[in-house]
Amino acid sequence: MNIAKTYGGFVKNALPDHPERARALVRAGLRLETLRKRIAPEKGLPKGYLALHKLAMTRTADALKHPETAAWVNVFTPVELLKCFGLNCTSVELLSSFLSGFYCEDTLIDAAEEAGIAATLCSYHKNFIGGSLLGLAPTPKVAVTTSMVCDGNINTFRYLSQRTGVESFILDIPHAWSQEAEDYVIGQLKELISLLEQKTGVSYREEALAEMLERENESKRLLLEIMELQKTKRYPNTMTMNLFMIYATHLAIGLPEVLDFFRTMRADIEQYPEYHGKRLFWVHLFPYYQETLKQYIELDGPYYISGYDFNYDYTDPLDTSDPLRALAKKLLLNHYNGDYHRKAEWLAQLIKNSGADGAVHFNHWGCKQVAGGVQLLKAALRDEGVPLLILDGDALDRRNSHDGQVKTRLEAFLELLEQGGNKTP
Amino acid sequence: MKIGFVCKYTPAEVFEAMGDMTGRIEPQVSDFNRADTMMHPNVCSYAKAVLEEVMAGDWDGVVLTTCCDSIRRLYDVLKNALPDKFIYLLDVPRKVNDFTAGLYAKRIRAMLNDYQAFCGKTLDETELSALLERQRKAAAMADAPTAPGKRVKLGILGARCPQGVRDILRESGGEVVFDLTCTGLNRSFPVTGTEVLTGYAGALLSQFPCMRMADAVNRPRYWQQMETEVDGILYHTVQFCDNFSFEYSALKASLSNRDKPLLELETDCTPQAEGQIRTRLQAFLEALGAAKPGESGAAPITIRKGTGKPMMIMGIDSGSTSTNAVILDENKRLLAHAVVRTGAKSGESAQKILEMVLERANLKREDLSAIISTGYGRVSIPFADANVTEISCHGRGAHYFDPSVRTILDIGGQDSKAIRLSEQGEVKDFVMNDKCAAGTGRFLEMMARTLELPIEELGPVSLQWTEEVEISSMCSVFAESEVISLIARNKEKADIAHGVHKAIAGRAYSLMRRVGLTPKYMMTGGVAKNPGVVKAVEEKLGDSLVICPEPEIVGAVGAALWGLEQA
Repeated sequence: MNIAKTYGGFVKNALPDHPERARALVRAGLRLETLRKRIAPEKGLPKGYLALHKLAMTRTADALKHPETAAWVNVFTPVELLKCFGLNCTSVELLSSFLSGFYCEDTLIDAAEEAGIAATLCSYHKNFIGGSLLGLAPTPKVAVTTSMVCDGNINTFRYLSQRTGVESFILDIPHAWSQEAEDYVIGQLKELISLLEQKTGVSYREEALAEMLERENESKRLLLEIMELQKTKRYPNTMTMNLFMIYATHLAIGLPEVLDFFRTMRADIEQYPEYHGKRLFWVHLFPYYQETLKQYIELDGPYYISGYDFNYDYTDPLDTSDPLRALAKKLLLNHYNGDYHRKAEWLAQLIKNSGADGAVHFNHWGCKQVAGGVQLLKAALRDEGVPLLILDGDALDRRNSHDGQVKTRLEAFLELLEQGGNKTP
Repeated sequence: MKIGFVCKYTPAEVFEAMGDMTGRIEPQVSDFNRADTMMHPNVCSYAKAVLEEVMAGDWDGVVLTTCCDSIRRLYDVLKNALPDKFIYLLDVPRKVNDFTAGLYAKRIRAMLNDYQAFCGKTLDETELSALLERQRKAAAMADAPTAPGKRVKLGILGARCPQGVRDILRESGGEVVFDLTCTGLNRSFPVTGTEVLTGYAGALLSQFPCMRMADAVNRPRYWQQMETEVDGILYHTVQFCDNFSFEYSALKASLSNRDKPLLELETDCTPQAEGQIRTRLQAFLEALGAAKPGESGAAPITIRKGTGKPMMIMGIDSGSTSTNAVILDENKRLLAHAVVRTGAKSGESAQKILEMVLERANLKREDLSAIISTGYGRVSIPFADANVTEISCHGRGAHYFDPSVRTILDIGGQDSKAIRLSEQGEVKDFVMNDKCAAGTGRFLEMMARTLELPIEELGPVSLQWTEEVEISSMCSVFAESEVISLIARNKEKADIAHGVHKAIAGRAYSLMRRVGLTPKYMMTGGVAKNPGVVKAVEEKLGDSLVICPEPEIVGAVGAALWGLEQA
């Protein structure tokens, strides 16, 4: 019996008439899952990931329980600033993933589509909108999104704001860095500060932000060391844990407990033996539920995911003496912002330097910004001699992926890798 | 130089002031072969069509903007593929204020520098100023001519609306009162002050905000003001452009408690779905009471009334799978009906059914007062006196067979639709599936073939199911693979067929929910003859479906009834 699926059935049954009961079930489910991981974790899942799991689950359950101190953000929102106002940041993508973890995505996505939302929209966004329409996501204090990288955010946030009344703020991030662009972003960050002061009653302290950035710098330094160590060692992971890493590198970055987590992970990885098998570098998103992939790449499976691009989208140290400018630079110079060739060149170098034998780009349903450029990435990697597998699928909606297709493509690609070929299938 | 652009925020006038020709790219393409390999099939159809057109050669340059993800990637791909052309991406701020007007002006200057490096031309700002002034005067003079006759007043909202859609509306008795999509707005920019380029940049940014702009939050205010001026609103979207569906959803929710009809229409820059687009637009206009639901919007048809002879009207429904015909007399009595397979040529099966139904009614061609066609092939029937869309016809037909029916589910060979009726049998709302085969008769045919069962047996066999199997894929191609793997796992045919029917029922149910679930329900079309689908839909609905003895003729009966109404 699949416990999560059965439990999700209870959540779905409570909708749409008893959203409060459904919300309580989701919160309880997150706590139960935390407990389950502590008592009976997956065999071979390292200490670092267990700590990360607990951190993300607990904070997300808190955000759902206390929406009055929570903020909806997207994965690029400068959460460092929001945290100075005591706001617990949770993203559309993260909440969507958790709801999908309960096998609820079919009901929620159908609800969004029935309301007129395009079926071709990214399923993370559809799922979250469905959850909000059915009353599953409690309305937070404030919602802050950036315009960069993904179109879905501005529209999803605006839609949710109109539906739920939550005040939302858009940070318009220009396509490329320039001095004017930097000033433009700083101006908007100052506006955001005024809004947050007014919403929370907390006064902004630049020193608090500087401390946040200091911890972020230290966390990112450890992250790079961890990456370096993974060139020789295998620190077993799962697709889900790779996604959880985004919580540490983005949504919660700057918090003292996140820095603690990176220290734990950094120390723990030393204990692990050297690895001589094939390494894969993963790009974009993980279809965390896909059976074939689980067998091949999770825990002690025959292949090792030794890197995941999302965690390295900006790793330069932030200037703590001018924190707002540092945040503006971080947004504008994010590797995903701007022309695709900028991203492709960076990614090709990152993958090459990681020592991976090959890369997999998962083209998530509805994501135009990656789908449209994927052939350029393939060409850039070809120049570096790194084979790339492009997998089409849906990272969230199980109904939109076909395991048989993934299996055939993945196995053909792995056969090529084993032959030492560098042709891309 | 011939410079193309796609977005209304593009400063096209600077190129014209340098004596170059500019044009908004309005591609009509037959396929996406290049785009699907250079980009990906799931990118916005408009972006893919622009790629096809620009790659085909006619433009010396293209100025794109950072308007959306698909266009940003289109730039990356074109820039890479066409290094000798002027391919430029202009970053348009999403917020409008003095700072961003200056920022945008600066970016336009940077573009002009690149353009000078490309072809040596420079902008004379006084020429730009004069050109903007001439353009403003011309726009003020132009007054859209009103078409003659009784017209249904329409407003268009949403993403770029192709000219073809506006043409169909005009031909079918519609008059566009406002078009707030990016292709419907006039280019006229009032510029004051000495800083011409900054003023111009500010005026460009201050246009009616599109969905990417921060100010889009104010769009509902515009449509709420405008909505009183029209009989209905057409919401146009482009396939794989999701940005406007958010507004459609909000508009739909806002209009649901007011009696203002709204039609969502998705197009994809190809002629493939033209028949379906025409049907939707004409059905919408028919529901709004356009003068004549036929092709020309001109005079109503003449019903030939022979002296002393009773009136006989033939209704013919030319569908993708079957062609169906009926003859009604003036007392609405059903004299005869016939159903034949459509085959490769709809015209031939129409001729065949004409002869067949006349024979069954024991009548001659001259006894008929009028022939009214409906269905997908309604315009290809040479002997029809008029045509009406199958949406209106199914409404009338269902009301004829059971006046208490309020919601119709029609699953035909290549499309499925849900229609909501008023107590009088008028169409109040309808939705159709998109052009993919999932949830249609075609899908069932594919599945029957995979299961090696004749299509007629699929339903009865499925009722023998014992084990619950799930076909979870939404796409018919994926679903077929799922069925194949279920066969490989030795699952029983009955169980798989039952799973297939449940998948169809799930689609049908969500279609019906989109028009609102109002009992009583009727199912029409060929698929209504499949007891497995009927049962699955009834279970999903928690209510029974009315099925006529011959569910395939409901549309044809509706067509004949329409003819009688014209007499």
